[in-house]
This record gives sequence, C-alpha cells and structure tokens, in this order.
Amino acid sequence: MKARLLSRSVTIERMILDAHLHVDDIPALGWKMEAELCVRRMDEAGIDVGIAMTITDWPEVNPDSLELVAEACAAYPGRLWAFARIHPWYGDRAVDALERALTGYGGCYRGLKLHPVTTLDHPAGKDTLRLIRKAAEHGAPTLFHCGDEPLTTPLAIAKAAEACPEATIILGHMGGYFHADEAIETAERFPNLVLETSAMPYPDRIRKAVERLGPERVIYGSDGPVCSPRIEVEKVRLAGLPEEAERLVLGENARRLIDQVR
Amino acid sequence: MIFDGLTFLGESLFGYRATAAELLARMDEAGIDRAVVCPVRPRGYHLGPANEHVADAVREHPERLVGFARVDPNFGEAAVGEAYSALGQLGLSGLFLHPWEETFRVSAQLVDPVVEVARQRHVPVIVAAGYPWLSEGLQLGELARRFPEVTFIATNGGQINISGLGQTDVELALAANANLLVQTAGVYREDFLEGVAARFGAERLVFASAFPLMDPRLELRRVQWAHFDEAAKAAILGGTLAKLLSR
Repeated sequence: MKARLLSRSVTIERMILDAHLHVDDIPALGWKMEAELCVRRMDEAGIDVGIAMTITDWPEVNPDSLELVAEACAAYPGRLWAFARIHPWYGDRAVDALERALTGYGGCYRGLKLHPVTTLDHPAGKDTLRLIRKAAEHGAPTLFHCGDEPLTTPLAIAKAAEACPEATIILGHMGGYFHADEAIETAERFPNLVLETSAMPYPDRIRKAVERLGPERVIYGSDGPVCSPRIEVEKVRLAGLPEEAERLVLGENARRLIDQVR
Repeated sequence: MIFDGLTFLGESLFGYRATAAELLARMDEAGIDRAVVCPVRPRGYHLGPANEHVADAVREHPERLVGFARVDPNFGEAAVGEAYSALGQLGLSGLFLHPWEETFRVSAQLVDPVVEVARQRHVPVIVAAGYPWLSEGLQLGELARRFPEVTFIATNGGQINISGLGQTDVELALAANANLLVQTAGVYREDFLEGVAARFGAERLVFASAFPLMDPRLELRRVQWAHFDEAAKAAILGGTLAKLLSR
C-alpha cells in the first residue's frame, strides 16, 4: 500500500492542492518548467501539494519523461506528486508504461494525463480508452486537457466518460475560453466527470459549476508554474464559494482522488 | 493611476450586459481610475445607437470614461460614415473592431476604409483578437503592416488558446510591427505577458479587464502579481494608454 497523503491532512486543516503543474524542458518552444520553480510558485500562493506532469508525451518526444517527473517528486517529497503523460498509440508498450508508473517510481504517480492535441488520438479512440481503463483499474483518475481545440472539447471527452463509467475523468481547464458552460452541462450528464479550474478566466463559472454539480466535483489547478498558481488560487476565491465548498475545491477533492490510487 | 483598456457598455445581443452605474461600481471595487468603454453589439443590431449610448456615458463621466466607437466594416461606406460621425460629432476617442461578433476577417481589405478613418484622425484601433480564423496573431500583424501610422491594440494578448498554440504568431506579429500592442485580459499565460515585456518592452502591453466578460479584480491581479518590475507595471497599468490617448 502506498503512503497516504491523508496523514498530511491531520495536521493541515485547510490544505491547498494544485492538481495541474508542469515539469518539462522544451527548447523548441523556449519553455522551461523546473520543479524548483513549481515549488517556488506554490510557496508564493500558499499551496501545500502539487501534481506535476510533463508537456511532452512518453515515449515521443521524451522517452525519459516518466523519470523526469519522478525525480522532481523525489526532490520535493510530500510537496510534489505526479500524473503520467503517455502517448496512447504505443499499444502494449503504453499500457505497460502506465502500469509501471502507477506501481513504481516510489509511488509518486497518481494518475494519467492526456492531451489529444499532442497525441492526435480522439478521447474515445480505442488506444486512449485502454489507457483510461488501465488507470481506473488502479483507482487513478485521468486528466484530459479540455479546451477549445478539436479533440479536446467537453463533448469529445464525454465519449470517453461514457465508454469508461468506472473511470474518473478530469476536464482540465474545464473547457477553456469558449466551452466552460458546455463542460458544466456535460458533467451534469456524466457523473464520472470532474472539472478542473486552471487557466480559464471566469471565476463565475467556478461558482456555477459548484452550484450545478456540487462542490465535490470541482478541483483547483493552475497549469503552473507559468500560469500563476497565486492568480489561479485568487480566481477560486473570487468565485465567492461557501467556506466548506472552497475548502473542497482548493484541496480536499483532489486529495481524495489521489489518495484512492492503489 | 490605473487605466483599464477595455470595458463594455450596453446590453449585448450575445447575452452580456453592463450599465454605466455597474461599470463604475466595479471600477471602484477594483480600484480602477479610468476605463476605455466600448459598445456591445446591441439587441437592436445597429451600432449607431450603441455608439451614442457610450458617448452619453462619457459625457456624464468624463473623468472616468473614455469612449471608443464600434463599427462594422461589412457595411462599407456606411461604416466609414459611422466612424467619422462617432469620432467627430460624438467625440469618441478611437475605433473598436470585433471580427468575431461582426464576422469579418481582420486581415481582409474590406477593413481598410474604416482603419483609414482612424489614420486620418490619429486615433488608435482596438481589435477583439485571438478569435480563430478571423483575428489571429498574424492576421493582426497583416493589418498592422498595412497601416504603420495607426496604433492597434489587440485584446486577449492577441491569442485565445489554452494550449498556448497562438503565442508564437503573436510574437512574430509584435516583432514585425512596432504599432501593435496587446492587452492583458484573460491571457494564457502569465509568462507570455512577462515575455512580451522582456522582449518587446512593457509599453507593448496594456492592462484591460474586459468587464463584464471578465472579472476586473482578477484581471488586475494578473498584472499586479506577474513578475514585472515597478516601472513596467506602471506602464502596463495605465501609463502607456494615458500617453497614447493624450496625443
């Protein structure tokens, strides 16, 4: 059995967990996101725990991506946990890589991350569904980039939620700039969908999501460190949620999700 | 002095709305001193009355509000007439183009006649930017290239893409056109804003809230809590816009 984050909550009454951080180095884009910067930005924002993931996929374009994030977690034990970003088109190799991530690496991996703009695999494509189901076998959630681009919209990801009712699927960015309302409406239809708040710029949509879905189905994320975790926390606070709901959204819900991974 | 580079007034066909009293109350709540105010596309569909509505609000609150005229280039000569009238009789201070809500490609030549009015009157043009197919980074750059004497201010950092896929096109447009500035409202991501200031100068960034589409309290924090030095922050939060509109 993996160490439980739950033990941390005994001493922290109100923990903030950032469910969407990036550790990666992509010279082609000039994007450098180091674990040290993640933790510095978390400290600025009063964030206790973060979940880190790469921007590139395993094994293309980064065959060492699982080790990269695991090393970041090892450098900041208890502060950083991880989601494994894996390209679904590698068939058995991809499934094995996810199994290895969820059972090895010191237990740091607590979920799967998919960004269909980089993989070009539809959320309901058979290879993607295999990975989602493998994650669900371990009780691990799948975080999708959910924005305005084709392959990433709430209705596209809902096809995966429908095909894998046993899986918890997180809509990262909760639909982005133009699909936030659609994300809320879609999550009303599929109870295994959870909305994650990062980067979309509307505090009032967070409030609407909590009112329509209940406070247990919305989680805070920043898409940091280059989206400001501090500003993203402020966005949740500006939603004006009841105190208990804000506590759930800012940390408790995500903590529960990653604690249940087996 | 905090000068908001974009707010809207009126009841939009697309569901958002704000009265002058609501706008001023939100500015007071956020600590914003002055704001550029633009018309929405009204439920009555015609932009002329919407421009008059904005001009009325500016006349009532000249210390707080600066009005821009909204024109639809699809209307050709009528749009040119509206631009002259709004900048002349109504006393408005710039033009506002919304390629998404009016449906036109901002790089299309049908836009040129209304921009020519801005050039003649020495006023800036705000463009609702980052909308797919219609007002993407390089499309803005193309318009700015054709009118080097006109200052264009692109909303949304010139890019609306939550994967960051529009950032490079905007950076290329900024590099090629010194007359192109970008606003801060809703921008993905803070490091994009910081990079624009570092690479092109803080004077290429203009704080905007996009109220009521976005929340002025959050949008102010986006600039105040980004990692700019104090001089850059002062320019972005109002210095640059005040200078631009005093010409």
